[in-house]
Amino acid sequence: MNRRVGLCFLLLLSACIYGSFAMAARKSFMDEVRESEAPFDNRTVPLEKQVIEETVVTMSPNNDEFFRVLARKKQIGRYKCSSCHTDKPVKARQGLELTHSDVVLQHGLGGRALVCIDCHHREERDYLEDKKGRKIDFDHSYQLCGQCHFRQKRDWLAGAHGKRVANWAGERVVYNCATCHNPHSPRFEKRFPATYSVPLD
Amino acid sequence: MSSDKKHPKESDIIKLLEGDSSRRSFIKNLSIAAAAGSAALTTGCIPSLAEASTEEMKLRWQEFFKKHYRLMTQEEKDAAVGRLERLAKLENNLDLQMGSEPPIDGVLYGYGFNITRCTGFMECVTACIKENNLDRKVHTQYIRIFEMEPGKLDPSTGDGQYYHEVPVDNKFYMGTQCFHCENAPCTKACPTKATWKEPDGIVVVDYDWCIGCRYCQAACPYYGRRFNWGKPEIPKDEINTKQHYLGNRIRPMGKMEKCTFCIQRTRKGRLPACVEACPTGARVFGNLLDPDSEIRYVLKHKKVFRMKEELETDPKFWYFID
Ligand code: SF4
Ligand code: SF4
Repeated sequence: MNRRVGLCFLLLLSACIYGSFAMAARKSFMDEVRESEAPFDNRTVPLEKQVIEETVVTMSPNNDEFFRVLARKKQIGRYKCSSCHTDKPVKARQGLELTHSDVVLQHGLGGRALVCIDCHHREERDYLEDKKGRKIDFDHSYQLCGQCHFRQKRDWLAGAHGKRVANWAGERVVYNCATCHNPHSPRFEKRFPATYSVPLD
Repeated sequence: MSSDKKHPKESDIIKLLEGDSSRRSFIKNLSIAAAAGSAALTTGCIPSLAEASTEEMKLRWQEFFKKHYRLMTQEEKDAAVGRLERLAKLENNLDLQMGSEPPIDGVLYGYGFNITRCTGFMECVTACIKENNLDRKVHTQYIRIFEMEPGKLDPSTGDGQYYHEVPVDNKFYMGTQCFHCENAPCTKACPTKATWKEPDGIVVVDYDWCIGCRYCQAACPYYGRRFNWGKPEIPKDEINTKQHYLGNRIRPMGKMEKCTFCIQRTRKGRLPACVEACPTGARVFGNLLDPDSEIRYVLKHKKVFRMKEELETDPKFWYFID
């Protein structure tokens, strides 16, 4: 009697082991994707559309790979700042325009609300300045944003935050932080959707 | 168009049959005549032999008897897209650039959708309508955006017809479209093999071989497919003339259509129109076989899930959370 139970148990055990091997042998689609490690050179894909916007090579690499980011300075209406912010006193004939009254500052919450010089350089107005006192070029503003928004920066470097410009292939060109976010009030404003949907048939 | 223009005249068929006396060509002609007869009944657009003397009719004749796309050689594909370009010029004075670009080696497309980022602006939907020449009259949309209650992850529980300022506090937004399943049930349901998965993973429809039976639509668990009940209407100046045979060329009435990951763009290295239009960067697109691609980063480092994973359809569309 005991012998028979033992035999049954042995049979069951071997069936289980065999079964688990069979399961492992059937590779899922996800495993195949995760295991594909052969490098793919994006630049071999012929591109229909070239990125025409001005770009700069980023100063922070992603896995030692440098990529490009949309330049910012030409997009800033009144750059260079030093053309007004000189040693001379400002003659405010166009007062409203010159005082940046269009800027609404809604960045940082409650007691931690930001003021101009949290990001802008105190003396050299053509630059930004981070908390370590480093001078930061407007084209590389991601260096500044990333000091607080470090999680977003990590994702942005690798592509889970932000987006590429025009192409999935070719040299990697991505949007700068301030291309999408207004740095003075970075949250997207509420608005009506671009269209509406009718019921599916 | 008068009715005798639509149908082959009896005399034409007789002429066709009497034209050649060898047995082989007799049978061949007979089958063509029969096909033309039945085709004229169903589609009403097959020209008679006499009319085939004009260039337009000849092209339509050749178009009607062309092969299934997958059986065509590259030369035949080139000829077919050339015919479609010429026909568009003759019929509607449109200058199309019709493509038949093949898949790119080493590329399998994958898509990521960040449900933390999407704010429901629906810029993707409008971009898709324009890019893919969707019917404006009945408001066909490949992409749907659902406004969802927190904690729910099934779009059927969400509101797909919202129209108010977005984003609404304490709601999130979830987009659906064809997920280009690796193990696609829709392709198995098609009786004419008019829909299939390309080597780069894009599930396509050969609109000329689709008979409009809608089996595929019934088989799709994700509401990924759309049917043309009528002739699509698009204002002429809004027609996207950069087209692909398997992509955004204008579908006739009675055909099945769906998202093709913008095959006319992606096979030329471009992002799909929805990804390019998204103002919040909620959409990620790229090559699943490239270990350095953005989509692979998302799969590796983010919490991802797919819809109805238990069906084992293996969609190539992942939702993720920041
Ligand atoms: S989502 Fe639907 S239409 Fe798209 S591949 Fe899957 S089953 Fe087919
Ligand atoms: S509707 Fe067209 S694509 Fe779909 S199953 Fe029928 S023939 Fe095939």
